[in-house]
Amino acid sequence: MTGANDGRRAPGTILLKISALVFSDHVLSTVVQPTISDLQREVANAAPPGLTRLRARWRGYRAFWTLILIAPFVSWPSPTDEAGAVAFPEAIARLAIGSIVVTLLLIIGPVLGAWVAAVTAVGTLCAILIHAWYIRHPSDLAVPRGAHGRLPQINFSSTDVADNIGGLIFVVGSVFIVVIGVPSVIWFLSAATLAGGGVAWALAAWHASHPKNGLPENQIVLR
Amino acid sequence: MSHGGVALPKKERLILEFLTSGGPMYGLQLVEHSGGALKRGTVYVTLGRMEAKGLVESQQEPLPPGGIGLPRRLYRPTALGERMLRAWTAFTRELAWEVKS
Repeated sequence: MTGANDGRRAPGTILLKISALVFSDHVLSTVVQPTISDLQREVANAAPPGLTRLRARWRGYRAFWTLILIAPFVSWPSPTDEAGAVAFPEAIARLAIGSIVVTLLLIIGPVLGAWVAAVTAVGTLCAILIHAWYIRHPSDLAVPRGAHGRLPQINFSSTDVADNIGGLIFVVGSVFIVVIGVPSVIWFLSAATLAGGGVAWALAAWHASHPKNGLPENQIVLR
Repeated sequence: MSHGGVALPKKERLILEFLTSGGPMYGLQLVEHSGGALKRGTVYVTLGRMEAKGLVESQQEPLPPGGIGLPRRLYRPTALGERMLRAWTAFTRELAWEVKS
């Protein structure tokens, strides 16, 4: 589709390949491809002087990146059964959030110092790891009735931290953050983490060998 | 202003006006006709939304032999789109008359 002329790639070929990874087929064919098509058409029709072609390229690429910037915020009813769905998949939202985090880090570095920037980066990485884990391994804790209707909260008591690697990442990440804030407690917290890990390991082993014991009758889990 | 989903935003109205008066057009032609009212980075988002609503339909142009690049999309108004534009124009005209008198 993006054939080459005299051995060179048509402009926008790489953008199209990247777009294919992050956009749905519907959005790709109705929004992204026409935008790149305009870029290619305009560059091909531009008169030979370099400046005219450069201007055509600039207009085309600016249109494409504008589209990328607004993509996470766009929604419309799709002709298929995805009525009301956000037109752009989660990947592009992640891309946008990633860009925001990188921008924040670039701002934080010079203002508050490299150390704070590094801590922010580690905290972000921990959050991403926890999120990625729960996406792949949804928590198997029983959820009390009515919990689905609650509003999301930033609150430790309502965070599902199960007995899995997600919980471990959460604990290690929290300990790391506290240790940075209060370096004198590093040994205490490290020992407490190891001890807690040992107890958790023993409990998990005991539950594995006694599957019927310890589970509440009505499947309501104390938080 | 959206009452039960019946509304015609300004950009959508503009596109429908261009397509009904000037015939089928490509996205870039619509941008050029609008004199800055439609932007290149967002025109296909608006057109995609209008297509999903059934106000316009599009067709991919066939790529000429030896042609390079991606084929363009040609947009034309649907019967619903034309009806919607007529109704909306009549409504706004009547509203303006009511306000004036």
